[in-house]
Amino acid sequence: MSFVLGVIVGLGLALLIAVPFLKSRFHNRARNLEKAASERTNDAIARFENQSLLIRTALDSLTVGVVVASAKGEVLFRNRVASGMTGALHADVLVDEAVDVHLRGALSGEHRRQVIELFGPPSRVVLVAAYPIEEGGALATIEDITERSRLDAVRTDFVANISHELKTPVGALAVLAEALADETEPEVIRRLSSKMVEESIRAGRTIDDLLELSRIELGGEAIKEAIAVGLVIAEAVDRVRTLADRRGVVLRVLEPGERLKVLGDRRQIVSALGNLVENAVKYSESGKLVEVSASTDGLSVDMRVRDEGMGIPSRDLDRIFERFYRVDRARSRETGGTGLGLAIVRHVANNHGGDVLVSSIEGEGSTFTLRIPAAPGLTVASSLSEAG
Amino acid sequence: MSRFAAEKLAELRVEALQLGARIVESIPRTTNILLEQDLEGAEYQILSDDEFDARTLDLEENSIVLMALQAPVATDLRRALVIMKLSAELERTADLVANLCKVSRRIHGQILDERLQVLIRVMGDHSRQQMQVAVEAYANEDAALAASVRTLDERLDDLQRKFIQTIFECSADSSLELSVAIQMAITARFYERIGDHAVNIADLVEFLVTGSKPPSRPRLLDGPTPTPAGGQ
Repeated sequence: MSFVLGVIVGLGLALLIAVPFLKSRFHNRARNLEKAASERTNDAIARFENQSLLIRTALDSLTVGVVVASAKGEVLFRNRVASGMTGALHADVLVDEAVDVHLRGALSGEHRRQVIELFGPPSRVVLVAAYPIEEGGALATIEDITERSRLDAVRTDFVANISHELKTPVGALAVLAEALADETEPEVIRRLSSKMVEESIRAGRTIDDLLELSRIELGGEAIKEAIAVGLVIAEAVDRVRTLADRRGVVLRVLEPGERLKVLGDRRQIVSALGNLVENAVKYSESGKLVEVSASTDGLSVDMRVRDEGMGIPSRDLDRIFERFYRVDRARSRETGGTGLGLAIVRHVANNHGGDVLVSSIEGEGSTFTLRIPAAPGLTVASSLSEAG
Repeated sequence: MSRFAAEKLAELRVEALQLGARIVESIPRTTNILLEQDLEGAEYQILSDDEFDARTLDLEENSIVLMALQAPVATDLRRALVIMKLSAELERTADLVANLCKVSRRIHGQILDERLQVLIRVMGDHSRQQMQVAVEAYANEDAALAASVRTLDERLDDLQRKFIQTIFECSADSSLELSVAIQMAITARFYERIGDHAVNIADLVEFLVTGSKPPSRPRLLDGPTPTPAGGQ
């Protein structure tokens, strides 16, 4: 009995001692767990913050505007571009308005797209698109497509022009051939067939120029060598001499010094300069002068073609280097050009890291300057050679 | 003012700003329509005037309702008042823009003298700039910016005088038909009126910010040069 009592008392005592001990151990354990848990949470929060910062920075550095809206239509996020891309407050307001409208549309499950043309200034074309997000809410993107739509317009123009330029002579050929088939008069036959030759040459030249242009545009294989400017000028002028004689235009070449050399592709440069001289001759009246000269500042060589023709209106000066651009459409058939000449010249200049400049006074004439980098070390002595 | 009322007022402000932005955008668009003789664009612009009018009327009504039901005071009252008056200014400006589009229909097929084309471009650009500054001043509640609109307007008035003078010159060289001359005269007038509305909006912004009306304009006393066509 007393034994049992002793055991109970002993157990009781043991418990009395053990409980606080165990309790403090549990406490420690729990505290440790808590600490670990909170550390983990902090880690997770820090990681999350890092990540969201990263995503935010990434979205901010996009060139496309991004706006995210919740299912209720509140805007949750707006990246930097989306908070002002057009450079004008009123244009931004209009873009925002479109974004709002389309986000609402997207929230009801539609995919929306709208191209907004803003007259600015600066004038802009902006594409606003909105989509529903699967988890609820909607996303809108804002994209500046000004450059893209400009290129599209140029391309459309180009296709329309090329179709026209090729169709005209081909159409003429068809009509002439039809007339020829029923003709018995030898004189008329001769006239018709010579017309046919003319028209086929015209179509052929357009195609040649197009091929030349696309070859120059592709660039790449241009061989850069030192070429004497005198030879380039002589070759370019030779091509046009017959035309000049026929039109009674006086061609004058101010021979540059032998040592004046440019670095480039001979064929391309001759073709470019040839185009300039040809234009000058075509747009000059009989008895007028076309003068070709060259000079250098040591870094590049300027080849100049000056004419005393009708000149170019100042509003057209920016556009004449576009393909098929004509200052006077009515005259384009008369002069027989393909409308590609100056586009070729510009591409040649660009390919060589050079430039083509034009100055013109209406009624007094124009001067075109083809600027090509000089060949190294060969030019200094020849800068005074223009007088020769 | 209650939170509800504050939100309502903010909404109206955004709507006013959107309508203002639309007007600013429509001015260069219309200048382009005039110069390019873009009939389709003109038609579109004229048709969209109805929708614009409806929006300005709604805006006006909503601002009145806000004042009546929420009784805003001080700056908020001025904000609501300005929205009410602004909507009328915007509505009138939109009509002028539509009128310019109608001019482009009437002069369709006529080749305008280069001097007149340049002046249309310059006046269009100037009135656009004036309206843009006025709307920006409203957006930012910037009284100083608003005050600059009046300086801009003086230049626009000079341009109108120059325009009328050029119409006479062109008419003297007989490079201008009478009917076209009349249309050109009202074109100059319309642009000049757009500038005046920009000044009115700028005045409203000054009132909004400072609480006092800007001094009246002595300029109005001598008035714009009478046009040979007798104005609009």
